[in-house]
Amino acid sequence: MLIAFFSSAAAAQGAAPAIADRLQACSDCHGPDGNSVTPGIPSLAAQPKVFVENVLVLTREGLRGNAVMQGLMKGITDREISALATHFAALPAKPSPGEPDKALIQKGRALSGKLRCGTCHLPNLRGREQMPRLAGQREEVLYAKMIAFRDKPPPGTDTIMNATLYGTTDADIKAMAHFLAHAR
Amino acid sequence: MKTNTRMAAIAAACTLAFSASALAQAPAAPPPAWKQGISDKFKDSPLAPNAGKNTETAASDIPMDKLKVPKGFKVELWATGMPGGRAMARGDKGKIYMGTRGLGRVYEVTDAGDKRTSRVVIDKLTQPSGVAVQGSTLYVMAIDKVLRFDDIEGKPDVQPVDMTAKFNLPPEQHHNWKYLAFGPDKKLYVPFGAPCNICEPPKEYAQIRRYNPDGSGMEVIARGVRNTQGFDWHPKTGELWFTDHGRDWLGDDGPQDELNRMSKEGLNFGYPYCHAAGVVDPDVTKAENKATACKDVTKPVALMGPHAAVMGVKFYTGSMFPAEYKDSMFIARKGSWNRTNKFGYDVVNVRPGADGKSAKVTPFLTGFLDAKENKFSGRPAYILQMPDGALLVSDEQLGAIYRISYSGGEAKKK
Repeated sequence: MLIAFFSSAAAAQGAAPAIADRLQACSDCHGPDGNSVTPGIPSLAAQPKVFVENVLVLTREGLRGNAVMQGLMKGITDREISALATHFAALPAKPSPGEPDKALIQKGRALSGKLRCGTCHLPNLRGREQMPRLAGQREEVLYAKMIAFRDKPPPGTDTIMNATLYGTTDADIKAMAHFLAHAR
Repeated sequence: MKTNTRMAAIAAACTLAFSASALAQAPAAPPPAWKQGISDKFKDSPLAPNAGKNTETAASDIPMDKLKVPKGFKVELWATGMPGGRAMARGDKGKIYMGTRGLGRVYEVTDAGDKRTSRVVIDKLTQPSGVAVQGSTLYVMAIDKVLRFDDIEGKPDVQPVDMTAKFNLPPEQHHNWKYLAFGPDKKLYVPFGAPCNICEPPKEYAQIRRYNPDGSGMEVIARGVRNTQGFDWHPKTGELWFTDHGRDWLGDDGPQDELNRMSKEGLNFGYPYCHAAGVVDPDVTKAENKATACKDVTKPVALMGPHAAVMGVKFYTGSMFPAEYKDSMFIARKGSWNRTNKFGYDVVNVRPGADGKSAKVTPFLTGFLDAKENKFSGRPAYILQMPDGALLVSDEQLGAIYRISYSGGEAKKK
């Protein structure tokens, strides 16, 4: 038989891995219900499963440049990653904090329309597969991420985001971040 | 931010030196249209790129029973456990190196006879899809790095020599993850894709270049190439044949992916103004240029399907397969995302006509696509011919390698 020998992590069969301890560590920063109340820390609630899996795999691989997260991901198996991702995908998203600025929302909505965010992230901006939920994410997280995608895409990410945001100004991104944060 | 300065610089650089009169032309006035190219017609389309799989897939989860090859051939699961593994390059001592994109790894696969094992040679790179071997030396090209592992087959722990500065890679990322190969001339062939879906590319992009292995002697040998991810040289003529991905967001049926033949250097293969067999681009072509958009463009030898994501090309030179396969090509099609009904997800056999101007495309390895459910299981990407004449096919989605062998009418037990 020509079937390959592969690593024991993939070979493990049986019950779903126990992730309670890991989830406690996640809650410490990302909030007990996956809705982050800390600036700079993203909300995880209702994020698509494949998206979360990808981020955790890339973090474990040392590609995300986040030392704290990388430390937490040391030794985590693919199956544990899938279990964590499944957990967060099922949590309900709460609205992001902050007062809505109508004019800025209008500007952001128009720009998001022009850049066709809804084509990949869906018209309700709730994301799917490897494309994250944008609606209701923390505004400063969205802003920082879009700036990074425009100027220096992190390793492991799809360059389509770099191509999409090419030529946008900081003010454009500020408006889109505000619109997306307040989208339901 | 540097947007305005940068856009001005790109506009100035956009001389589009396709024709002999390039030097006499003034630089193009407007900056390039760095758009996704999605018109209002498609603003409600739900199409989006397929998610890759960064986690390992167990052998039991690979649907071997669904895969089909022609009569007399057999397809078997040869290796698993290399998530994202795509292009393959084989050293003199039999080690197979595989590049990946998002996961940032390069794998080394060892054939132990009755099974395969793999290790990660290097990781944390930015899309190190380009792998090529000379003897026992491995070359790896990530989007922003060139590394050489001298005699890695003999010295598994060898530290790479960083060649990046010698190759002077331009900075754009989109479509600039590499396919790499050494030609019969022992030079390294490297594509630089257009950094957009549709735009007028800056002069360092949408082209194929060739270098000496040390990074010197750079030459641009073809232009108007949007995104090639696979090529090989004809065993008799020595000509380069390469696949090219067509642009997105012009509808389900086109412009089709291409199979091109480089009969000489310096040809223009059409991008961005002329796609496939003569589709004039509606977004970047000025009205006054539409009539001549395809003039002096080298058209494809074959159209490889709408949004099919054509990848690896391998001319068959072995003796295992029937004689009719000699000098034909096997071409992998990773499969579509920019199409309502999925297309591709297979390996086809392509037989050029005697005049080299057309080719017959027939299915060879199928079964990854469930057309009824519009779902796929795996995505065949690259092909490697083994010394015994069998073919290895990599599956980037399932992180596996399949082996296709021929035994004629009777089934041989292994």
